[in-house]
Amino acid sequence: MRNKSVVTEAYQIQIAVDLIKLGARLQLLQEETALSRERLLKLYKEVRGGSPSKGMLPYSTDWFMSWSPNIHSSLFMDIHQFLLKHTSLTGVEALIKSYGLYLEQINASGDEPILSVTRAWFLVRFFDAQMLQLTGCTECGGHFIAHANGLYAGYVCGICRPPSRAGKTKRNAATSSLLDISVAN
Amino acid sequence: MNTDQLHQEIKEANLSYMLLARQMIQEDKAAAIFRLGISQEMAELIAGLSSAQLLKMAASNMLLCRFRFDEKLLLNMITDYNKNRLMSQAHATILMTGQSVEALAA
Repeated sequence: MRNKSVVTEAYQIQIAVDLIKLGARLQLLQEETALSRERLLKLYKEVRGGSPSKGMLPYSTDWFMSWSPNIHSSLFMDIHQFLLKHTSLTGVEALIKSYGLYLEQINASGDEPILSVTRAWFLVRFFDAQMLQLTGCTECGGHFIAHANGLYAGYVCGICRPPSRAGKTKRNAATSSLLDISVAN
Repeated sequence: MNTDQLHQEIKEANLSYMLLARQMIQEDKAAAIFRLGISQEMAELIAGLSSAQLLKMAASNMLLCRFRFDEKLLLNMITDYNKNRLMSQAHATILMTGQSVEALAA
């Protein structure tokens, strides 16, 4: 597609730069902007100072079901739905804004974001394709990501009832044992 | 605290709340709507207030902001806080996105 309008092109470049800053993959940029692959590559190298990563995109709905990815992506999706409902943002602008707010929420509580912008983009597409849906937790009333058309009578979310091994990763174990040592001293 | 002091404190809280809200909306409207939990219409109204109007509003004896938590949410946040700070914050945000926003009555 050729861009005739300079203003439209400037807008497209701004969208692409925002997405690249958030860590978007090249395929996503091609899908969401009307810029050519060459231009996007050039833009990518200019913003990030390196070539974009290659290979397949993470295409799986199951990733969103395990414990901490589910909480992170539910947080993102709830923000996204809120913005669609209450502001005039749509499409890629809503994606950029809600992903930015998601990062801010996670950073504010001192954790690392698990959901990448590419996965967030996929998530929105899975919702559009009605492969995933938001299901209400019967204990807290919050909305969490679940497979569409599943049976969720009496669904309880992963925060209200965490699985027994939840969050006990090797990295977490290492930091908490360090904490124990410093407390002991 | 006597009533005069109380009114003074309320006015101060009102003024800083209104100034902050207006600044947030002017800087980034969509993010402000999310953070404040208000409707777009209300956000536009607040952003359009002149400083004189804002001062008059803040001079009220009633607080202009109100609690955004219902009982259950508040309870959840307090009881879970020690367990995992991230989880209780993320949880609070998830629950707040599901709430209705403060809007102007039609």
